[in-house]
Amino acid sequence: MRPAAAGVVLGLAVAIGTPVTWQLTREPEAAGAPVEQALPEASPAPPSPGSPTPQASASPGWLPEVAVRDAAPTATPERPEPTWLTVTSLGIDAPLDPVGVAADGQMLLPEDVSRVGWYRFGPAPGEEGSAVLAGHVDDRDQGLGALAALREVEPGSQVVVTDEAGTQTRWRVVSRELIHKQVLPLDRIFSEEGAPRLVLVTCGGPFLAEYGSYRDNVVVVAQPLP
Amino acid sequence: MTRSRTAFVLAAGATGTLLALGASPALADNHTATVSVLHGVPETRVDVYADGERLIDDFQPGTLTDPLQLPAGEYDIALYPADAPDASGDPIVSETVDVTADANATVVAHLTPEGQPALTPFVNDTSAVPAGQARLSVRHVAAAPAVDVRVGGEVVIDGLTNPNEESLTVPAGTVTADVVLAGTDTVAIGPADLTLPEGATTAVYAWGSQEAGYELAVQTIPGADSAPSGVPGGTAGLVDDEGVPAPLVALSLAGLAAAGIAARRLATSRS
Repeated sequence: MRPAAAGVVLGLAVAIGTPVTWQLTREPEAAGAPVEQALPEASPAPPSPGSPTPQASASPGWLPEVAVRDAAPTATPERPEPTWLTVTSLGIDAPLDPVGVAADGQMLLPEDVSRVGWYRFGPAPGEEGSAVLAGHVDDRDQGLGALAALREVEPGSQVVVTDEAGTQTRWRVVSRELIHKQVLPLDRIFSEEGAPRLVLVTCGGPFLAEYGSYRDNVVVVAQPLP
Repeated sequence: MTRSRTAFVLAAGATGTLLALGASPALADNHTATVSVLHGVPETRVDVYADGERLIDDFQPGTLTDPLQLPAGEYDIALYPADAPDASGDPIVSETVDVTADANATVVAHLTPEGQPALTPFVNDTSAVPAGQARLSVRHVAAAPAVDVRVGGEVVIDGLTNPNEESLTVPAGTVTADVVLAGTDTVAIGPADLTLPEGATTAVYAWGSQEAGYELAVQTIPGADSAPSGVPGGTAGLVDDEGVPAPLVALSLAGLAAAGIAARRLATSRS
């Protein structure tokens, strides 16, 4: 073949091959079980509050046994707060800040994108329900955030959360999914019921320049490792 | 705002066991209600009877039961002195309480403003509060006139009378609260630090009497939580998923250009 003909073929190969290869090699939008499946269904009406009362057992009648406690105001015992997040396979090694709710009702995230927020109104990692850790994926001034690589996490990856007492909880990723923010299953993600699980959230998907934000959330669900 | 009477109907002085309930309450399946009992009559240990059966033995002032799951229906609730052998004598106070299915309520044994024993059911509001918020329900069950409730020195509830309640939604956290005689700075109770957990109703009872002293009792009723409205997450578009990244687009275009140049050469060399 003449060099010019080879040039045409090569040029076209590069022109077509580049986007095709990019499309084929990029991370798929989801991996592992769907997030909706990995998170237990939120019960529409929470069951009666408090611990279930043992029904009449030893008592002679049909009335339940009654536990009684002092009702004087007491200080709630402090629980150890999670302070550090590590996902070795992604190179994530970030401090955690306890965060609450912003004025607009959304979860508040640390301003510093190198830090990750722990939703302090929900469970701590290891407690019953969903412990939610979330961070900005990037910032116009600060660049990429600590969780920027979350989009690439593979099921089976290990996540470690360390609390202020130095106690570690270890987790295994079971699910990763890009979900439109409009249909994010918030009640499930923030559910305080069910077996302990860890939910990592950041932004992802197409960037909507007109809104200055991303269309989707990257949601990763991890289950406790023994 | 006064306490809701929707789920509970009081009929004073009714006695006698209700046959329907006594027969087979266990078959009431899930038509149950959640009922707690608070003892707010100072200096009086009591036994609490429901339909003639002893429900709580030697109930101490200032204590609260865990939530009980009771079949819905009417109950004759009676308080007897703690040393009474059974429910055959004259009760200190008795009421018929109609427990509605799925209701969540607290029955409070307390004093009227005049110092007479009384039983009052309060419906616990478990409707959701916004994420990050807590519901505070203050209930006046003390032998005292109208009071104001102050949080951080500011009056948040004014003119609350026995046996009524007033609720407000506040940011979750710890607040310092006290109770003053209505319209005055005369502190009756407190100040006390109150922990108001997020997504829960905290019922605070002002109870007691002038002689025995006034105190606060606290009951936390969970189940009012809601999730945040979303998770923000980025403003720069550095990890934009839409389309091929610019360097790759450039590479692709370069390839196209190279092919074009080569094709032109090919055409030229042929001519």
